[in-house]
Amino acid sequence: MSLFWIVIRQLAEIEAMATSKKVITREEWEKKLNDVKIRKEDMNKLVMNFLVTEGYVEAAEKFRMESGTEPDIDLATITDRMAVKKAVQCGNVEDAIEKVNDLNPEILDTNPQLFFHLQQQRLIELIRNGKVEEALEFAQEELAPRGEENQSFLEELERTVALLAFEDVSNCPVGELLDIQQRLKTASEVNAAILTSQSHEKDPKLPSLLKMLIWAQKQLDEKAAYPRINDLSKAMLEDPAV
Amino acid sequence: MPTSASASDSSVAVSATRRHSDLLPRLASSDGLVQVKALRELKNRIIGNRTKKLSFIKLGLVPAVADILASKADAGDGRHSDLLIQSAAVVGSFACGFDAGVHAVLDAGVFPSLVRLLSHLDEKVVDAGARSLRMIYQSKLAPKYDFLQQKNMEFLLSLLNSENENVTGLGASIIMHSCETVAEQKALCQAGVLKKLISLLKGSLSQRDASLESLATIIKNNVEAVSEFVGSDSGRALSSVIELTKDRYPRTRLLASVCLIVIRNTCPCYLQDIGIKTKLVYLLLELHDDPGQVGDEASFAFCTLIAGREDLQKLAFEANAIDKLYNHLQKGALHPKRVEGILLAMAELCSKLDSCRFKFISLKALDLVINGLTQDSAGVRAAACICLKSVSRSIKSLCAGDFMNEMIVIPLVQLLDDSCTSVQESIFGELEASSLASLVSDSEPLVQEQALALVRNLVDGCVNCIEFVFAENGIILDAVGRQLQSIPKVEIGIQGMYLLCNVASGNEFHKEAVMHQLVPQAENGTQSFMIKFLQSSDSQLRTAAVWTIINLTFPSVPGAFGRLVKLRNAGIISQVKTMVNDPCLEVKLRIRTALAQFMTSDDGSI
Repeated sequence: MSLFWIVIRQLAEIEAMATSKKVITREEWEKKLNDVKIRKEDMNKLVMNFLVTEGYVEAAEKFRMESGTEPDIDLATITDRMAVKKAVQCGNVEDAIEKVNDLNPEILDTNPQLFFHLQQQRLIELIRNGKVEEALEFAQEELAPRGEENQSFLEELERTVALLAFEDVSNCPVGELLDIQQRLKTASEVNAAILTSQSHEKDPKLPSLLKMLIWAQKQLDEKAAYPRINDLSKAMLEDPAV
Repeated sequence: MPTSASASDSSVAVSATRRHSDLLPRLASSDGLVQVKALRELKNRIIGNRTKKLSFIKLGLVPAVADILASKADAGDGRHSDLLIQSAAVVGSFACGFDAGVHAVLDAGVFPSLVRLLSHLDEKVVDAGARSLRMIYQSKLAPKYDFLQQKNMEFLLSLLNSENENVTGLGASIIMHSCETVAEQKALCQAGVLKKLISLLKGSLSQRDASLESLATIIKNNVEAVSEFVGSDSGRALSSVIELTKDRYPRTRLLASVCLIVIRNTCPCYLQDIGIKTKLVYLLLELHDDPGQVGDEASFAFCTLIAGREDLQKLAFEANAIDKLYNHLQKGALHPKRVEGILLAMAELCSKLDSCRFKFISLKALDLVINGLTQDSAGVRAAACICLKSVSRSIKSLCAGDFMNEMIVIPLVQLLDDSCTSVQESIFGELEASSLASLVSDSEPLVQEQALALVRNLVDGCVNCIEFVFAENGIILDAVGRQLQSIPKVEIGIQGMYLLCNVASGNEFHKEAVMHQLVPQAENGTQSFMIKFLQSSDSQLRTAAVWTIINLTFPSVPGAFGRLVKLRNAGIISQVKTMVNDPCLEVKLRIRTALAQFMTSDDGSI
């Protein structure tokens, strides 16, 4: 994270100079920024890391051809991973489980929490589709033994089965389980587990870099007025309010 | 765990039989496609589901899958790849984290077939075979791998040199499972395994972790291997392990610190730098925050770091280790493994330093430990006993008046002015005699041993402390006596005997109570366990037994002679007389003391 350390070093320099709040003009700031050399390849790697981790396989393929940046993972495995993620997002949880097991049978065997969450999501989908009897049988046969093994699973199971007790599930205390957010949460949990099993970091580097930028700007705000980046999507420097 | 599965076991077995009784014929089908489908279905049924694994093992499906593996494992032409991948995956899942499964898989003879898969042309088959073998090697039940045979060592090296991550991982698992003796460590180093593992430190995430774990296995308690490692690449290997303690992955940080602890504990001359020690203390405490396995294992690593080392215990105390561990322990619904680890870490912290013990008592952490005494997990119960034993040492110091000037002691000293039983009541709060007695009779030998050691510690010291074992009609003493009738291991005999020895140092009433346990009341021809203990091949047990006799026959107290007669009638005195030339000096000296006492009390009849 060389970028990060450059920012930190500048922060330290500014801190050393300023006893009261210092004003840095746009001209001075841009001059300083121009002094920082960042290799194009590093920027490209950052982009490729984001595309690969988030699973944009076509974009990654195009980017590789255009920039010559090699991805750090076999692109074919991204397609498999995305198929699993998509299956969960669409509510085809059984299909997703089978796909994960084909990809690597160890993942769900060694990750009881993830396995429970997938089975819980399967139960939620059965309840959503009004298959009450099937849901009860599934909960009894597949989920109850997991609850016996782990107290916190049991609590989550009870919450989920509570969905069956309400006529109007959209307005009940555990209604958020039926929310699309729940599917996304489960999907991203599976996604992270697959990445880890492939010895790949589960989060892209870019968002944490942006978090560091925000943190560094906040630190700097206490010492100086300077051209800030307020809109991260545009990354435009905005003049300091003097 | 089979126990937790038992409640719903039968019902699941029934429904599994009902719905999947067709799996067996399908697995035996002559049509490969039917077999693949059946295997895949079986795989998806059992992954993550212990209950199902158990019921399918009972239905006899493992041998059917083993047959497929055995018949197709040699065909390297790729025709049967799918069958092999699916059957290896099924076998691996049966063996995953589940001893009954490993048993079934090994009994079905899949081992050689899986090894053959490693040289298959299809990389995916190799992956599947390596994964399954790794699962098996993670169990204690896996066969030990003999590194001392040349061809085995060559095979291991070929695994470690493989391009395939799953295969190198298997190599590492074999080392972790099978490397136990110094000779094996030496053979591995000489074959270049250490160097290979060092190079894997630069590999992928999983290779790094596997390498750290196997490195720790190879160098543990082996000064030569540690020196070779520390000297490798002019110290760069060691630096890279130190660097990995800052890794972003908690598991890697944990394994790297375990590796450093092993180096330090083996060769105290390395890693003397206070900075590193402090860093390890903070790192391991911080790793407790991990909600998963890493957090569970962190306390065990922490124990090995501070065990028996006052300097590190002091550092840990200054890092607020007691508060931090206490805060973790306070959270409910913890995994038993984690509770056990934290209790052991607390025990280690309180084993030497009174500052730690006072902190412990001031936090009222004792309530949590007492809670641990009645937990389902034997590991937790044993750890709670060890913890109590550690903390109870401070009472002894208080009795001895070692640190009366400390402000914090005053309230405790006031309690000491009272009778000792009430000190136990105050300090041990809800610690009831009955719960200790049940621990003494626990089914786990380790729990028994620790419980006995705890009571022995409690009754050591002032005479009034002995009253503790007589609470609730002597329930503890009776339990001890019963346990000593048949001891599963010698350590229990030693602890129990010293306990009786301490009690026998008390007043007449105490001595008579011990006699009651030693000499069977009804003359039913049963031999006193004392005879067995005096004849034991363990000199510590013999010493403890003779000490007890000395305490019981101490002359110039009214009942001494009567006890001497009882001991003679039980055949114990004549046994003592045969031991004047015991090979153990300590025993020999005690025997002479005992014989001298006999002479003093003797009126000619003994």
